[in-house]
Amino acid sequence: MAEKLNRRLGLPIALLIVCLILPFFLSPLWIRITTEVLMWAALAQSWNIIGGYTGYLSFGHGAFFGLGAYVTGILMVHLGWPFGIGLLASGILAALLALVIGYPTLRLRGAYFAIATWAFGEMIRQIAIILEITGGAFGMQLPSYLNLPFFYYLMLGITALTYLTTHILLERARFGLKLLAIREQEEAAEMVGVDTVSIKMEAFALSAFFPGVIGGINAYWVTYIHPDSVLGAQLTDFMVVMAFLGGIGSLWGPFLGAVLVQLVQRVLWLVWGEGTFYLVIIGGAICAVVLFIPNGLIGLMEARIFSPREALGQWRKAIKW
Amino acid sequence: MILEAIDLTKSFGGVMAINHLSLQVEKGMILGLIGPNGSGKTTFFNLVTGLYRPDGGKVIFHGKEITGLRPHRICGLGIGRTFQVPAPFGKMTVLENVMVGTFVHASTMKAARKLALEILEKVRLDDKADQLVLNVTLEDRKRLELARALATKPSLLLLDEVMSGLTPAEVKASIELIRELRTEELTLIVVEHIMDVILSLCDRIAVLDYGQKIAEDIPDRIVNNPEVIKAYLGERYRA
Repeated sequence: MAEKLNRRLGLPIALLIVCLILPFFLSPLWIRITTEVLMWAALAQSWNIIGGYTGYLSFGHGAFFGLGAYVTGILMVHLGWPFGIGLLASGILAALLALVIGYPTLRLRGAYFAIATWAFGEMIRQIAIILEITGGAFGMQLPSYLNLPFFYYLMLGITALTYLTTHILLERARFGLKLLAIREQEEAAEMVGVDTVSIKMEAFALSAFFPGVIGGINAYWVTYIHPDSVLGAQLTDFMVVMAFLGGIGSLWGPFLGAVLVQLVQRVLWLVWGEGTFYLVIIGGAICAVVLFIPNGLIGLMEARIFSPREALGQWRKAIKW
Repeated sequence: MILEAIDLTKSFGGVMAINHLSLQVEKGMILGLIGPNGSGKTTFFNLVTGLYRPDGGKVIFHGKEITGLRPHRICGLGIGRTFQVPAPFGKMTVLENVMVGTFVHASTMKAARKLALEILEKVRLDDKADQLVLNVTLEDRKRLELARALATKPSLLLLDEVMSGLTPAEVKASIELIRELRTEELTLIVVEHIMDVILSLCDRIAVLDYGQKIAEDIPDRIVNNPEVIKAYLGERYRA
């Protein structure tokens, strides 16, 4: 038991220590890249709370990130509030918005929930374009604060908090088992005493809180936000893709997926410069994952031995060929 | 009187699934519910447990009206049920499945685990506690249904065909199990098509046909009731 516990905690602690000392060895460019990787790791995990553990595929999750960015921006620029309070407000408002959106949509399942959340994401983007306080389509300039390590450590903090929360609430507590039960058989869960409506709302709010805060951090970090950069469809897409690649419904899957996708993307960008060719490679990788390793990279590691022949066999069976 | 259904009605489109049904269940008894397919047995369970809201009528449990409450509330008040087609939480272990049920009363994971293990022992599934449900047999899934329902500590348990699809030897073991469960504190309503099971378990039997109760009596008299024979049993069980 103790050994198992050590193995479970040893790696994360080592990882955290590495992350803490990493900036001392990295060039500013790589600190930026690592900050991005951490950000995506946290975003993918946030999506995983509702998409992976609860089984409700949210395709509007980028909206919470964008909302956070704009809330922090507006509070700092227009009201002159301090950054910290802006972050807190971003997280809380994102969670509240999730409750408002979740109340009608969490009754829908499968594709219907996905479509409803996607429409909601679009709605938020349109609102940001129309409103004056957000700067409309031109976007908004925040006060600039050029301090890379500050943003790095802040992002590390929120990422650690996201994973710690997921570990405690979803892997160790009654809450997590209730979510899994809802994912596996919602009617039966309700029938054995799980208040499915409340639990789903709580999960959705939790999964929106972190993107809200992260959106706020990102806004202050990049100093200039506009609807495409913080509310674009690719935000949600990448959260989903990273979570799936790494393995949904697991603690470390989204982390693995985020590190891989973001690093590959950045390396390809360094090699080939600005372009979208990396999307082709990532797209191909996603197809391969969905076809051959539906449980993601984590599922692969848990199965220990990966046999291409077996995967091909499973694939043939799946498409009845 | 632990459960009282008064004049329940439920229709789907033009079909009256439950047609002015009244039923009373005494504390501590085992009531058998029989009838042809589509006669409304499962619909009745769904009305009692809150999965469906009745079009008319009332459900009274322990003297309190529970009509229209959400299923998790009704479960918390003490009504447990199993599903005809086992509906386990597939990608979870047997133990975790039962733990979800214990959360109604257990406020810590430790307490939940302890309680769930006790129940698994009772239904003789303790050796499979750590297996994924996806990997266990139909018999074990049926037992798991039972264990998960028991985990909520019900005072009334609705069993919906927990024995269909089992081999005769498995059925015999299940009957033993249900006999053991029966106490002063646990009242049971059993839906089953296997008449030998119903006859050997139940104190009283109610017969449904087209959503109506056509008879209710002790087993010996039910098997000789001409209306029941005509609607459901045939001549085989006549004494």
